[in-house]
Amino acid sequence: MSRIEIDGKSVDVPPNINLIEAARAAGIEIPHYCYHPGLSVAGSCRMCQLEVEQNGRKALVIGCATTAAEGMKISTTAERVLKQRQMVLEFLLQNHPLDCPICDDAGECELQNYYMKYGLHDSRVELAEKYRKHKVIDLGPTVVLDSERCVLCSRCVRFLQEITGTGELGIFGQGMDSELLTIPSVRLDNPYSGCVVDLCPVGALTDKDFRFKRRVWYLKKVPSVCQACSRGCNIEIYYDIRHPYKGPGRRIQRLKPRYNHFVNEWWICDRGRYSYHAVDAPDRLTTVQTRSSNGDSAPNIKRVLQEAARAIKNAKEKHGTKSIAVLGSANSSNEDLYVLHRLFTQHLGVHHFDVSLKSEPSGEEDEILRKADLAPNRRGALEIGLRPAASGKFSGDNIIRAALAHEIYVLIVVRHDLSLVLRPEDFNRLGNLDHLLYLGEHESPMVGIAHGVIPIAAWAERDGSYTNFQGRVQRTTQAFPPLGQARPEWEVWRLLGAEVGLTIKAKTAEEVFAELTKNVAAFRGLTWESLIPSGRMLAGVPEPPYRKVRTARPLE
Amino acid sequence: MHRLSVARQHGAYEMLQKALTMEPAQVVELVKASGLRGHGGAGFSASLKWSFVPKDKFPRYVIVNADESEPGTFKDRLILERDPHALLEGALICAWAVQAEAIYIYIRGEYFYPTKIVNQAIEEARANGLLGERILGSDFTCNAHTHPGAGMYICGEETGLIESLEGKKGQPRFKPPYYPAAIGLWQVPTIVNNVETLAAVPWVFRLGPEEFAALGTPKNGGTCLFSLSGCVNNPGVYELPMGFPLDGLIHNLGGGILENRKLKAVIPGGSSSPILTAKEARGIRLDFESVAAAGSMLGSAAVMVVDETISIPRLLLWVLRFYAHESCGQCTQCREGTGWMLRLCKQLLEGKGKSRDLDDLYEIADAVDGTTICAFGPAVAWPTKSYLKKFRHEFEALVRE
Ligand SMILES: Cc1cc2nc3c(=O)[nH]c(=O)nc-3n(C[C@H](O)[C@H](O)[C@H](O)COP(=O)(O)O)c2cc1C
Ligand code: SF4
Ligand code: SF4
Ligand code: SF4
Repeated sequence: MSRIEIDGKSVDVPPNINLIEAARAAGIEIPHYCYHPGLSVAGSCRMCQLEVEQNGRKALVIGCATTAAEGMKISTTAERVLKQRQMVLEFLLQNHPLDCPICDDAGECELQNYYMKYGLHDSRVELAEKYRKHKVIDLGPTVVLDSERCVLCSRCVRFLQEITGTGELGIFGQGMDSELLTIPSVRLDNPYSGCVVDLCPVGALTDKDFRFKRRVWYLKKVPSVCQACSRGCNIEIYYDIRHPYKGPGRRIQRLKPRYNHFVNEWWICDRGRYSYHAVDAPDRLTTVQTRSSNGDSAPNIKRVLQEAARAIKNAKEKHGTKSIAVLGSANSSNEDLYVLHRLFTQHLGVHHFDVSLKSEPSGEEDEILRKADLAPNRRGALEIGLRPAASGKFSGDNIIRAALAHEIYVLIVVRHDLSLVLRPEDFNRLGNLDHLLYLGEHESPMVGIAHGVIPIAAWAERDGSYTNFQGRVQRTTQAFPPLGQARPEWEVWRLLGAEVGLTIKAKTAEEVFAELTKNVAAFRGLTWESLIPSGRMLAGVPEPPYRKVRTARPLE
Repeated sequence: MHRLSVARQHGAYEMLQKALTMEPAQVVELVKASGLRGHGGAGFSASLKWSFVPKDKFPRYVIVNADESEPGTFKDRLILERDPHALLEGALICAWAVQAEAIYIYIRGEYFYPTKIVNQAIEEARANGLLGERILGSDFTCNAHTHPGAGMYICGEETGLIESLEGKKGQPRFKPPYYPAAIGLWQVPTIVNNVETLAAVPWVFRLGPEEFAALGTPKNGGTCLFSLSGCVNNPGVYELPMGFPLDGLIHNLGGGILENRKLKAVIPGGSSSPILTAKEARGIRLDFESVAAAGSMLGSAAVMVVDETISIPRLLLWVLRFYAHESCGQCTQCREGTGWMLRLCKQLLEGKGKSRDLDDLYEIADAVDGTTICAFGPAVAWPTKSYLKKFRHEFEALVRE
């Protein structure tokens, strides 16, 4: 620790941090463009200049490249500091097109923000004198560039060199001709391409998926966790439910990474970034369905669950608990899986349960973030006990085999689409079970053969916690209510419990989680609150070492 | 002289032989006693730079800065073409002093002929055991390579040069921490010296440090190559003792002003140095301290003579055109400021100037001065500010017209 003084305020700072971070720790903002804590220091935008007094000498330095040292006295308000900030802004705006009204970044643009705080000068440049560059350049499948808006901070360039190692972008030319572009004949196309848009401090890089869809000031955000693989990158959901007439009912507008030191730092992959489309997809299941209701008025959930409860009781009496099987999902939250486990294995004594199938799709894996296991909570399922532990209990694949071999009479399936793993004639035979209860988010062939269908809430529509592959338990937050009759899975199990004589008191995800931490050893000691903002490791699982996200093959 | 056989008749590589019998630290001490200063622009003490190399970091490199691109400067070329073995010998002595394993000679891209000569010299030296393994039978091993410059002025700035040598765009690194002597080429200690600086090193040994120092002034050892250009009768490269009188250079050696016109001003150290009015220039001596005391800098010792027929605003346009084109474009102030100043200056000369433009020009120059990554900022700000300050009436005349 060394003690420094910033604007007369004494602060103790850890070793090896720069003045921007030191000031941040003291609650003082130092404006900057090129500096980003996840990238190497470029020192080029010159916006973070400060006056530093050390050993009796005062000097103008850049905060990003100056390490805080004992006894430094820093001024962020000295006259020449303010003058420099204003001049840097005036320089940057000199050739800036000033088309903010049609710029998608308006509202979250650091040129706008800093101008309002530190600039407020009158322009000395005629519009006709402005230097023109290229506009609307299609860089690749995800990103569009407007060169005139680029402040040449090189953040995007450094990201592609230092994190992905793909190096698609460069700044070409010199002086005023400097222009950001892709390397000739190369497209900006890599699994993390969307991150350059997050990094861009201005509206130069925009995301094709988001641009011109919504002005950013209409957006609300909640913290969440990506559901597209077992890493569980921390994200923010940006949504807008007040303007449903814009876009066909699309509520989520975009996902952005949320910093987590141990999981994803500042980044997310494109798979995760664009995964949210499923939440507002037109094929979402929104109504409860039962086979016996054909032609009836809309059935309610109680009736569907009563039918299922009757089938379960029947099977148990006639054929024993071995005739009932549950194929849950590793996409469900810890709370869902906990109540599922309570109900079926502890209360009903159901023998066969699993969450995994051998043939589940896997994704690409790399050394940056992406994991091959696309389920966000397989670790949670294992810890809660949803695995075929003892011999004589069927794995997921054996459950299906047994169902086809008439050994299983009642089958409960969550999310899995078995038409993907069975031949059509076998798949259709599943419809001949005594009872097949299906819980799902989306339209699927399962709906056609199930006796009862219950729509479940998507992750953004509910609170939940998920355990990533490292054993870190992290929380998602409800952004908006579920569609139609959809509800969280644990609520469905709670209602089903009521039909078969199990009372579960917990009425919110938080209360379920509290119960879970009491009853499942691996979760002991965790609290709902402690999962915010960056999650907690399971009991007895050590914090993984902090791994600076870096590409496996750096450019040099 | 550029052939090894001839150079050896004149004693080439004898001083290397001598240096190799000394401890590296003794070599640095000896150069220190000579008062040798850098001829690349900043006039930094050569021995002091060599002594900055951190103790336990290896490998180390020596870079010869032969990018020679400061407008007005054309003296390194002479050494490259006429006496490449003196340069190689000096670079090798430096390499021995700092225990470097390779020498990179970064030569201005347009210098095809000098590059050819230097390559030839390297071949000859290598064939004769003066380069490569176990030089002159000692256990010192060092190689030398030339590298063509990338055609940017900024590749002459030592860290821009290093980036360029690493195969990247020549964009200077910020200091601290990237002082080449500590973190240079490929992040290892690297000594960057100008051609002339290194070519002088054998002379430090030949004459002995005291005699070498005595050639110049107390703080500026030895001689200096002056590139004299502009409105004089005999432009060219002159080797003169440090501290030689400016008047003598212009009026005697230089043969006086063209067509006997009146002297208006002198730019004493390349295009980046502040201009001196004829009055300020009168009687000054050409060493780093004296020129600084007069309000300018010796820089690369490129003395440009400006007579009464030259318009200072036009001169500024010429300077700004160069700097606006050559800014590497990293720093906001430099990239945008040079272009902006150029636009204002052009408008002035086109008769479209507003009276506010002069103050704007000065303010922009001031914002670029000392606030950027490399010394390019001051290099454009100083001439601009000095032209505006000292010849404001010429600029004002343009506004009123
Ligand atoms: C914009 C700029 C251009 C430069 N160009 C050259 C050059 O062409 N040749 C050179 O020797 N030094 C040049 N320098 C100076 C070098 O950065 C460095 O100081 C020098 O090579 C050190 O050598 P010395 O100590 O022997 O002078 C330049 C500096 C700046 C800021
Ligand atoms: S596009 Fe954006 S991130 Fe990239 S250099 Fe320009 S301003 Fe910076
Ligand atoms: S790496 Fe996995 S968790 Fe992270 S954003 Fe991509 S899909 Fe989501
Ligand atoms: S001052 Fe100019 S030339 Fe030097 S690094 Fe900055 S932009 Fe490049």
